Amino acid sequence: MTSNLVSPLRCQTSEDGDRGTSLWLHDLSLATRSGVRGVQAREWLKSESLPHELQPNTIETASNNRLVMALSTREFWLLDPDNLSQGTEPTFERREPGVWPLYNQNSHAWLVLSGEPRADMLAKLCGVDLRPKAFPLGSVAQTQMALVSTVIAHHLWRDEPVFSLFTDQSLADFAWQALQDAMAEFNTGR
Amino acid sequence: MSPPRLEHPFGQLIDRDTPVTFEFEGETVQGYKGDNVASALLSQSRWLISRSFKYHRPRGPLSLAGHDANTLIQTTTAANRLAEDLPAQEQNVLSGQNYWGSLKTDYYAILDRLGRFMPVGFYYRAFFKPRGVWRFWENIIRSAAGLGVANLEVEARYTDKQYLFCDVAVIGAGPAGLNAALTAAAGGAEVLLVDEQELLGGALTYHRFTLEDKSRAQTLEALSNAIANHDRIRVLSGATCNAWFSDHYLPVFQGDRLYKVRAKTCVLATGSSEQPVVFRNNDLPGIVLCSGLERLMMHHGVCPEGPAVILAGNDDAYLTALTAAEAGLSIAGVVDLRSEPDDLALPAALSERGITLYQNATVYEAHSDKSGLQLGAVTIHPIESKGKVGATPTHLECRLLAMSAGFMPAYQLACHGGAKLTYHDDKSEFTLTELPEGMHLAGSVNSTHDLKAVCADGRNAGRAALRALALEADNDETIHCERHVNHPWPIFKHPKGREFVDFDEDLQIKDIVNSARLGYRDIQLVKRYSTVGMGPSQGRHSALTTARLIADATERTVTETGVTTARPPVKPESLGVLAGRRFHPIRKTPMDQRHRALGAHMIPAGSWRRPAFYGELDHRTANIAAEAHAVRNGVGMIDVSTLGGIELRGPDAAEFMNRIYTYGFLKQPVGKTRYAALANEQGVIIDDGVAARLAEDHFYVTATTTGVDRVYSEMLRWNAQWRLDLDIAQVTSAFSAVNVAGPFSRDVLEQAGCNIELSSEAFPYLACREGTVAGIPARLMRVGFVGELGFELHVPSLMAQTLWDKLMVAGEPFNIKPFGVETQRLLRLEKGHIIIGQDTDGMSHPGEVGLAWAINRKKPFFVGRRSVDILMSQPLKRQLVGFTLSPSAPKPEEGHLVLRNGDIVGTVTSCEYSPTLGKVIGLAYVHPADAEPGSAVTIRTANAVCVQAPIATLPFYDPGNERQLL
Repeated sequence: MTSNLVSPLRCQTSEDGDRGTSLWLHDLSLATRSGVRGVQAREWLKSESLPHELQPNTIETASNNRLVMALSTREFWLLDPDNLSQGTEPTFERREPGVWPLYNQNSHAWLVLSGEPRADMLAKLCGVDLRPKAFPLGSVAQTQMALVSTVIAHHLWRDEPVFSLFTDQSLADFAWQALQDAMAEFNTGR
Repeated sequence: MSPPRLEHPFGQLIDRDTPVTFEFEGETVQGYKGDNVASALLSQSRWLISRSFKYHRPRGPLSLAGHDANTLIQTTTAANRLAEDLPAQEQNVLSGQNYWGSLKTDYYAILDRLGRFMPVGFYYRAFFKPRGVWRFWENIIRSAAGLGVANLEVEARYTDKQYLFCDVAVIGAGPAGLNAALTAAAGGAEVLLVDEQELLGGALTYHRFTLEDKSRAQTLEALSNAIANHDRIRVLSGATCNAWFSDHYLPVFQGDRLYKVRAKTCVLATGSSEQPVVFRNNDLPGIVLCSGLERLMMHHGVCPEGPAVILAGNDDAYLTALTAAEAGLSIAGVVDLRSEPDDLALPAALSERGITLYQNATVYEAHSDKSGLQLGAVTIHPIESKGKVGATPTHLECRLLAMSAGFMPAYQLACHGGAKLTYHDDKSEFTLTELPEGMHLAGSVNSTHDLKAVCADGRNAGRAALRALALEADNDETIHCERHVNHPWPIFKHPKGREFVDFDEDLQIKDIVNSARLGYRDIQLVKRYSTVGMGPSQGRHSALTTARLIADATERTVTETGVTTARPPVKPESLGVLAGRRFHPIRKTPMDQRHRALGAHMIPAGSWRRPAFYGELDHRTANIAAEAHAVRNGVGMIDVSTLGGIELRGPDAAEFMNRIYTYGFLKQPVGKTRYAALANEQGVIIDDGVAARLAEDHFYVTATTTGVDRVYSEMLRWNAQWRLDLDIAQVTSAFSAVNVAGPFSRDVLEQAGCNIELSSEAFPYLACREGTVAGIPARLMRVGFVGELGFELHVPSLMAQTLWDKLMVAGEPFNIKPFGVETQRLLRLEKGHIIIGQDTDGMSHPGEVGLAWAINRKKPFFVGRRSVDILMSQPLKRQLVGFTLSPSAPKPEEGHLVLRNGDIVGTVTSCEYSPTLGKVIGLAYVHPADAEPGSAVTIRTANAVCVQAPIATLPFYDPGNERQLL
């Protein structure tokens, strides 16, 4: 049940941000996500009528604004940023052999970063070139942010280009603080 | 009152409407915003800024660019700040450094007169006998050669780092760099332009390249505007590129930030360092480089007190004299080391301004004024031959001497990339060759000096960068530059010495030459023996002279002699900026806020923070005792979310478990748990946990908090060989867990609402179940780490806090009490359960630690099997046993030694007072002969007090294991 779910970040939204022009950070940790892994994972996506021809480290929009993110040729995350989890993920269910469910609903916090200087800001925390020229929409990087393993995905959300940041939920509070600190100079004077 | 500043176009950097007042050596100094400390001091004719490193000679600015160590000063927060790099700021309190007494009256200056007794290397030869005497001398020498005082009370500044990505990094924004940047950007490249000065333009901002000096200002303005308006050029001014690393990885320091620049290609337009003439007392305050004087006038509008003498080794110095004359500076004379300049119009220009020209002559000696702290006069001698002067001196009174013996390419960054320096006798200058791929040179670092050639060279470098990026570029321009800017031998040895080659280290001509005479012929050995080039300026002003002197002394060419290896950093850098922000990732469980609200004393557990116990640290023992009492007699709950979790799913999951762990798992029933010990290939136990079989093809295994990453990594590594059909997933963060333990634990779960039958018959000890507790999906395991009836609940992490809250409410009727990890350690110690990593070390095999039962010797293989067999077939060398002591005995601590006949045979691994048992209990490695209950061992406790500890049978508590079976 939804009432049982508590985000490690308490669903905060950064206070300083001004969407679009400045940086804005939002906790989507309670939004629905799941995933599959295994040698038959791609076939399973196909059977579910989901995008299934993604290359590793790419993200693609499916129906109803859902997203499919490929982390390898046999690991896919299904993301639904506009719907809160009902508490049924992760389940202890088992799918057919070769398609194993992932527990990313609970293992990873989900932060969304928007605003024009987002790549510049993340350059204070991450060594990957995230400028649109090098990291266009649809790109995914499995990297580190402030020494924390992070998956960064560049996609549209509500018609706006954003970075989704997935970090270990136990480190979510640290990541949030690091991001807030890095964002401060970009939101100063507003 | 300060003398008025020069009118525009002098003083480009200062804001004349914003005066600034600060304090230096207890006296008030006035300057303007835009001044640095050195320029503000010089505006008031204060030349004495620092004392030299070894002889404590008075020193003043030399380069005015922060390229030498003559202006090291002390601020309230830091030592060794260069006055030329430090902005003049209101209310700053500054002082000189490295003196005893005052900057003006430094008692250590006596060392200057004792210099003959302190030749190079005298430390090595004078202070090593008798043995230990160095400790006496060290304090004295360090005091005399001190370099300021570190203020240990200063709070760390906020420093950080940022990556920057670009196609082309252009280092240096002089005329070459500006042209390179514009050309590359025009060709479609993203350009990063870096310059150490705030004002872009390099020499264009202060140096007249021609007699008429007509187009310089327009050229600068046009270039600057083009740069500012180009959206593909990003400028970092006031920033220093301190190194070049492979693949054009460039650390750039700007203020308190370190930019880690990743460029695809780079253009070095770093310019060149003007070189001093080497003559007696060439270090007196008032003696500057020509470019320094130009910067002072053009950037800061300061016209120093005259009269001035210009010492020229090239035509540029003539132009400096003309600029100074136009600024109103009285010029006592221009002394040219050559017989005539290249541009024969220059003498006439001097003559027009009434400036006397001395040709084929040199300043042979500088003299201080009456104070001894500033230049007062120079003696000029005609030059007879290389380094030799005639005997007819001319004495000139002067307060300022500007000199230029030539230029040395700013070679450091190029040499970091492996470039070579080659000396050309015809031009008496070094050039750079063998550049790494993708590195391009432009401007005077590339040995072009004429402004037109410099600009064209910059554009060519921009084109080369474009080609390296596979972008289109125009054909290169042809460059002609025949200017000779270096005098071949601007070195004049004086019988009384004090001709300084290296200002940082107070090294004179004799110091360098004597190094060679003592056998240090290689330039690298000369550096290490004499310390030349090891100061803050890193040989900028000494490398060329040293190479010439050593070449001459060893009868080799300058190219053969070379210069010492240039290594990062180019300029001194702050450790704080290198460190950047302090990232210390700390992991928190979902219940972290609850623990803190309950007053938990949090301690580190790997990267996690866990409650040690609840309550004040001052009442640690009582708090732990109360928590232990609750678990033994009622019910307690501990957050064990930090336990590692690994899922093994697939047809071969059981086979994998059977191979990786020491126990047998093929026949483990579904719904049961088993202890799982992991050995490495050396037979050492490296981790343990509990394996729950949830289905035929599904295991959920716990691992230790700090060991799970290693376990997971080992699992992946082994299966890369075995190729078994399973999925291995690290789920530590996906699941959080609590352990509800104590006689009333079953009641608490029933009170909370549990859809699993919890009776001992339906859910016996070591069973596992899946169901819901308080409406939350959970995996339950009946395990007995603390030795009581207990249930470990593993739930989705997002629901863990809710579970905690509901269990606390459900437990209220039973006085449930949360307990911490220190209480848990006590409880498990009472049960004699070991903790891997605490009670084991890098040598512990199963036989030593009582885990022989956890080894399945019937199965054909497990990781470490062969080593375990070998180790366990040999007689034990030590054994982990339990011991007890009376509460009144000195309590051993972990790590205390176990002795046998005076020899060390083991250590205490765990020890705590047990309130339940009323005695001190512990685990220790002992000699096998002493391991039987009834024996006693000697433990050396604090202050070398030895106690006799009787060996006890394990477990200490509930030996029949009845309580956990309830």
